[in-house]
Amino acid sequence: MDLTTLGAAIAAFTGIGAGIGIGIATAKAVDAVARQPEADGKIMKLLLLGCALAEATAIYGFVVAIMILFATK
Amino acid sequence: MMNRVFQTLNIFFERVMGIGCMDIGGLLKELLLEDKVAIHFDFMNGFFDINRSIVISWVIILVLILFMLFITSNMKVHNISKKQLIAELIVEKLRGITYGMLGEEGLRYRDYMVVVLVFIGASNLVGLFGQTPPTMDLNVTASLSLMSIILVEAAGIRKKGMKKWVKSFAEPMAVVAPMNVLELAIRPLSLCMRLFGNIIGATVIMELLKMAVPVFIPAAFSLYFDLFDGLIQAYVFVFLTSLYIKEAVE
Repeated sequence: MDLTTLGAAIAAFTGIGAGIGIGIATAKAVDAVARQPEADGKIMKLLLLGCALAEATAIYGFVVAIMILFATK
Repeated sequence: MMNRVFQTLNIFFERVMGIGCMDIGGLLKELLLEDKVAIHFDFMNGFFDINRSIVISWVIILVLILFMLFITSNMKVHNISKKQLIAELIVEKLRGITYGMLGEEGLRYRDYMVVVLVFIGASNLVGLFGQTPPTMDLNVTASLSLMSIILVEAAGIRKKGMKKWVKSFAEPMAVVAPMNVLELAIRPLSLCMRLFGNIIGATVIMELLKMAVPVFIPAAFSLYFDLFDGLIQAYVFVFLTSLYIKEAVE
């Protein structure tokens, strides 16, 4: 088996962090909306920003995995 | 032993689910390293290629311009038509979105943000028509994020003046100055990689789905990956850029 494939698989583990981060952010946002339904718009905007930033790590992992698979050859 | 298990699994996938024939490596190669050249010019000694992403973004720009010309033609002050009402509504909504992000100080950059929002949104939606989105090309996202960071720094210089702009790197303390300088490179890199990675991830997943189940299910997932994700990414790109601008002009 080719070890580069394994490297790409390890790079894909960054998804764990992003998943946990987005989960926490969404849970808190739901809490906040339940407490203050009128602040809906502001919370939504902040949630989107937080999710985008948390998601970035997973995307970096994905890009690294693609680089390992295809750019090194 | 393990090999036996893998072989059995492979046969199971091939026979029962019909996805054994899907060649993931080949698919990724096709998406990433495909022959992206659309127009090829020969010069005296060399050549000049125009990539497919550029041609697709030309088409997008053309469609957007035609739409705008159509919708803004024949405008009046009184007794307006439905078409003009729609045009005004669109402009109001888009400006409203960017107004909240830029704040009072950065209002002069609002129309640029609207243009970037519409362009990225439109190019992410191209996947719906079976084309590869131009934002799937790293060159396109890199140039967009370079434009963003240049605008951010130019806004800072314009607002504060050269001296204060240089000084602002050492805020709030002199210790963080290296970090602030590093951010000059990190910000466009992360903007560029976020957009590129999201779009290529969505496209790869959609292609895999289309290979596995050709009917019905890709339509449902396309709603999320092509429509929702693309628009969210356009919004996030513009949101982050205007956040940086807001920070720079404060």
